[in-house]
Amino acid sequence: MEYVRRVEQSVSLLALLAIWAVGTMIVATDLSLPTPPQVATAFVEAATGSYFWGEVVRSTFRVYLSYVIAAVVAIPLGLLIGRSEIAEDLLFPSLEVLRPIPPIAWFPALTIILFNQENIVRFIIFLAAFFPILLNTIEGVQGIEAEYSQAASSLGASSSQSLRHVVLPGALPSIYTGLVNAMGLAWVSLVAAELLSSTGLGYYLWNAFVSNAYPDVIVAILVIGVLGYVSSALVRWLGARQLPWLQSETV
Amino acid sequence: MSTRSTTERIGEWFSGSLPSPTRGVRKLLSLVGFVAVWWLFYQFGVLNFEHFVSPWTTIVEFAGALAGQPLTEGGNTIYLHAAYSAVRVAVGVGIAAILAIPLGLVVGTSQRWESLVYPAFEALRPIPPIAWLPIAIIVLPAVAIGSVSIPLSALFVVFIGAFFPIYTNTIEGARNVESEYRRAAESLGASRTNVFRHIVLPATLPAIVTGLSLGVGLGWITVVAAELVTGGPGIGYIIIQASRLLNNQAVVIGMIGVGALGYASSALVVALGRWLTPWSET
Amino acid sequence: MSEHDTNDERTDADERSTDRTDRPDSAGDEEVRSWTESSGTGTVNIQDLTKVYGTDGDELVAVDEMDLHIEAEEFVTVLGPSGCGKSTVMECVAGYLDPTEGEVLVNGEPVDGPDPSRGVVFQENRLFPWKTINENVRFGPQMRDSVDEGRIETLFDQMGLEGFEESYPHELSGGMQQRAELARLLANDPDIMLMDEPFSGLDAMTKELMQEKLLDVWEDDDRTVVFITHDVEEAILLADRVVVMTARPGQVKDVIDVDLDRPRDTNVVTSDRFNELQRRASESIHDEAERAMEQAEGRA
Repeated sequence: MEYVRRVEQSVSLLALLAIWAVGTMIVATDLSLPTPPQVATAFVEAATGSYFWGEVVRSTFRVYLSYVIAAVVAIPLGLLIGRSEIAEDLLFPSLEVLRPIPPIAWFPALTIILFNQENIVRFIIFLAAFFPILLNTIEGVQGIEAEYSQAASSLGASSSQSLRHVVLPGALPSIYTGLVNAMGLAWVSLVAAELLSSTGLGYYLWNAFVSNAYPDVIVAILVIGVLGYVSSALVRWLGARQLPWLQSETV
Repeated sequence: MSTRSTTERIGEWFSGSLPSPTRGVRKLLSLVGFVAVWWLFYQFGVLNFEHFVSPWTTIVEFAGALAGQPLTEGGNTIYLHAAYSAVRVAVGVGIAAILAIPLGLVVGTSQRWESLVYPAFEALRPIPPIAWLPIAIIVLPAVAIGSVSIPLSALFVVFIGAFFPIYTNTIEGARNVESEYRRAAESLGASRTNVFRHIVLPATLPAIVTGLSLGVGLGWITVVAAELVTGGPGIGYIIIQASRLLNNQAVVIGMIGVGALGYASSALVVALGRWLTPWSET
Repeated sequence: MSEHDTNDERTDADERSTDRTDRPDSAGDEEVRSWTESSGTGTVNIQDLTKVYGTDGDELVAVDEMDLHIEAEEFVTVLGPSGCGKSTVMECVAGYLDPTEGEVLVNGEPVDGPDPSRGVVFQENRLFPWKTINENVRFGPQMRDSVDEGRIETLFDQMGLEGFEESYPHELSGGMQQRAELARLLANDPDIMLMDEPFSGLDAMTKELMQEKLLDVWEDDDRTVVFITHDVEEAILLADRVVVMTARPGQVKDVIDVDLDRPRDTNVVTSDRFNELQRRASESIHDEAERAMEQAEGRA
């Protein structure tokens, strides 16, 4: 059974490759779409130069830096808003005004305020990651049954002890969901922001496109996909490692 | 998931079902504070805000835009730009839903289909929608309807952006249908088709609505990004075009416009969700 | 009622036997039932039933060579400690699980998947949350295009559900949900009702009312009932026979004939005879419960 499954899964991935190969090499040859061999060649070429890797590191660093800052700001803020009705009333409406604006729509406005392109890209990624983490943290805190907090305080837990031993671990699964979503959205916005700037993989992608180096476009797409996938896997892996530990600590 | 409940909560605030007077006052204070900070930054030039726009002129200009003033000189009204973007999002999300929901249901309920389909789509999923833009521009020509030329590339990117959240949430929902419901239906004489129609489909609906909600959110993100690059008319286009013309006021109006549209469409999805799942407890 | 009386005359040794010759003449059975509404007969024959979960190296024997014969229209309760495989037995009879070894015969035919003639009530309420009470109750008949409006109406009346036709399950109290689930089952007119601790989630008062309701229904319609419980009092109150199961791997440990008069109501629990039966059942299950607890600790 398991064997059959593995075969079917391989078929699935090979079919994807086959569709690409047949589509570009036989069906739509006049569109000059890059074929798998062309892309492989382009990748080898790019991978042997330092420019490409420089852009990979630059984009990855941008995402991780902004992501970590977003988490460091959004989680405590979410805990506060989720715990305190006053904080919720005072902070949440303002944040809700900003939230529906797509991060990339900030780009022109940020050029006025921040000037520095590096900071603009960072800020856009920060925005993309910030709101999912914030909302899920708030939801996680508010979803904890009041009985747990009551039980903790009747067992003699102080407010900060209750926060540490009940609220944080109780909200953690939801925070984790937010962190996973945020990583995906961070990469989405990175590409969009870099398309409009002059550095990073998003720019590499767009630059290759406008200079008709189509195989390099595909190389960039695939590398961005892999980086996004690995980043999300990393968040999931950390979550899976941390969650049982934090939960068992409270028991 | 988060989008939905938050929007609902906001809805409750504004409909006045929740707040006591003090809560209402505090929330008003929050919004007033927001505008006040903006104004102070502008007035005293914090973070280069003196080059930005004042909240007061923004209010006046936004009202003007709503009254039908063109956003840029000789340009189109906010309504036309909004309509173009909204249609792209609606059509892109609509097509995504039509394809993603049945596919997600099949993958979520059949192990064989899962093995055959899931890996290929998982390989494509991590590619950010915007990254598809160059390919979309090469492959998809602009379609001309009358004198208006509609670049399909922006539409395609919206479609990609909306497809995966709907697809993954549908799969997740279909996988998590509790087997006892299936068993109960089978013991009551339901055939396979009936189990699908009466059990799997309704049990998956809440997850599908969550997916739609996320899909619409990503639809707006991607439409703005695509229009920044591919041109307009469109609300994303007007933001970048106004910035090129150094018309900061129009930039901010565009941002407010896209925020309002995003907000309205997620409210629409919430309403749709309520209508589709009248049994849900919230 | 004469059917049930015959059971009382049988000995424990007979009960455990799976030999088909012990069964009453099936032709005679047919005759008795020919005038009743139920079309099937409703006998359940569990033969050498073994169910093993997991694969090599990590096997869990839930049920081990269990034998049990249940007469048509009999009310049998299966009493056992938690984790003794009683739900597994029920799932095999319902047709959700295939036995690892042995077989389950219903009306002499091997069970092949779930069937509307074998209705199931689950431990947790399994009304479809997305359907109204009315839609839930008529689900079974609707699946077979044989909705009998009169019957549906009678069921709503009988179960005290009038006025809640258009409510969704979560809007009803626990007891009412359980009555609705019973109504949904009865709408299908099954020969056999399989009930897996259906009342264990209810408060004591509601539980008592539900037990009486179930007895009423059963006495009116003559169906076979296989009722799983870990509650000794409930087991005796309801049953013609109480089948006591051992701790895992589950086997039949003891069969107790309940010779209390019918129709019964919950007052019967104060009678001397009831106490006597209860003591016997409690003694029988006590060691098994201890063993089950040790098993649970061993696994943890």
